[in-house]
Amino acid sequence: MPALVLAQVLKRTALLAVLLALVFVTVELLPGDAADVTSERGESAADLARRRALLGLDRPVPERFWDWMTGLPTGDLGTSARGEKVTDLLSSAFPNTLLLGGIALALTAALSLTLGCWAALRPGGRLDRAVSGTATAVLALPEFVVAVALVLVLSLWTGWLPAVTLTGADGSPASWDMLVLPALALTVPQVGWNTRIVRAALADEARAPHVETAVLDGLPPHRVLTHHVLPGALPTIAAGLATSTGMLLGGAVVVETIFNYPGVGSVLASAVTDRDSPVIAGVTALTGAVITVVLLLADLVRDLVTGGER
Amino acid sequence: MRPARGEGPERAVSAALRAPLGTLVKVLPALLLVTLALVGPWIAPHAIDTPVTAPYAAPVGDAPLGGDQLGRDVLSRLLAGGRELVLSSLLVAVLVTGTAAVLGAVGAVRPWVGRLVERTADVLMLLPAVLGILLVTLSWPGGGRLAVVAAAVVLGVPYAVRLAGGAAAPIAATGYVEAAAAGGERLRYLVVREILPNLRSTLLALFGLRFVAAVYLVATAGFLQVGPQPPAADWALMIRENSAGILLNPWAVVAPSAAVGLLALSVNLAASALAPQTGRKAVTVL
Repeated sequence: MPALVLAQVLKRTALLAVLLALVFVTVELLPGDAADVTSERGESAADLARRRALLGLDRPVPERFWDWMTGLPTGDLGTSARGEKVTDLLSSAFPNTLLLGGIALALTAALSLTLGCWAALRPGGRLDRAVSGTATAVLALPEFVVAVALVLVLSLWTGWLPAVTLTGADGSPASWDMLVLPALALTVPQVGWNTRIVRAALADEARAPHVETAVLDGLPPHRVLTHHVLPGALPTIAAGLATSTGMLLGGAVVVETIFNYPGVGSVLASAVTDRDSPVIAGVTALTGAVITVVLLLADLVRDLVTGGER
Repeated sequence: MRPARGEGPERAVSAALRAPLGTLVKVLPALLLVTLALVGPWIAPHAIDTPVTAPYAAPVGDAPLGGDQLGRDVLSRLLAGGRELVLSSLLVAVLVTGTAAVLGAVGAVRPWVGRLVERTADVLMLLPAVLGILLVTLSWPGGGRLAVVAAAVVLGVPYAVRLAGGAAAPIAATGYVEAAAAGGERLRYLVVREILPNLRSTLLALFGLRFVAAVYLVATAGFLQVGPQPPAADWALMIRENSAGILLNPWAVVAPSAAVGLLALSVNLAASALAPQTGRKAVTVL
């Protein structure tokens, strides 16, 4: 078992390394660099060359590639087009985004498990059809559309929740109720997606022989569900939630700009204005690492349930 | 040799015509909305870039949905703002489905291609699509719409190949394809003449799913201001631009939000109607 876990850690780390190399190549190969895009009108070629030297862009590509790949494990995410350390730009924003994404992931897990199990207990019934139908409908909605609807109903018309996030002195949201609407906007589409996965995984597992035995033994349906069906369906459900992590982190970038939430989204909004590619490269590296960790956890759940055979 | 009973697009069309009424009813809203978005720019009553009201003016007779942040007619911009979203998304869906079909079919005959695509999908799983779009558009300042479409295609292909490859594998294992391969037919012939014609229904379903994903990505890129640039009319960009005035003229935000939302919903409904009915499996034992 430990050998298996080690092998998975190595495999996932290797995949992450490939992604980081791919990010560097993308930024490098596409036309235009950080010095070009921050250049001002009437700037001479000499000015441009000077700033390129300042940002280290005049060094040979292999050398910069080596710096990028070896800097990442030590927490060095490179330098923005304005010459700031990307790590410094993200040091207070990224934890806020992780908080928002973490809350949304927990909500997604709780809601999709509840709805999926609820629907599975009444197969083909009105409730099952309503849950499955709604889940399919909402999974395609862009987060910003959900956010606008939530703001209109829960904030502007009823006044129950704040429509914008105010930032406290420590750089995090000033009060907890400012997290509710951003988290909900992220959660709704992902609940749609994961409820379908839970529902399908339960249906698959319910056909296993040991479940039939439990039913024939006369156990009550909810006990069969929690003790006999759910454990076997867990690896699929965990893999679904792990896939949602990327969607949640990507969606967070969008939702944060709507609510003015002090996370990576606001850092990226100014990076968009400045066309600052090193910042987005740094953010991509960080999210890639987070998703790798979550995928490893999902691997671990699968190993625990299947006992390592597969 | 080939069991496909007909060929070409006529067959796909005739299959669609013979589809049950339920499928047509589910595909219809998407068709209507897509058509409306495509012809919208021609029926807009006002120009999209000249003010006709005060900024964030409430609806009046001449401007039934009021004005936006510069006093431009919201209704006209709404009618004009969907075409590029729909066209870009269609382009992405066509390119992704086409590439995935070929790669999936090749992967079914040449296993190393399949393995390579699998590994690529494992890597791209670590890159949220929204961040991938930002990465490409910010690294390619002159890229414009091409950059968004290119990024959406690259990010979508690996997942689509998994689906197409899954459907192509059993076909590649059938006697007639193996016989053709053993008979020395070239890869190109095997893929184009033997495998692809039998993937039609899978590819139609795949196209629907990729259109759904593309609408999400292209709209999100617009909202993040890396797609269409002002003063272009674009639903997602309208939401971003007018959100500051949502209390003064809610329609400037609500109308484009509803448009994007309805497009996503209707396209998704159509896609799930086109998908092969693997059945909503019932948990019958409980």
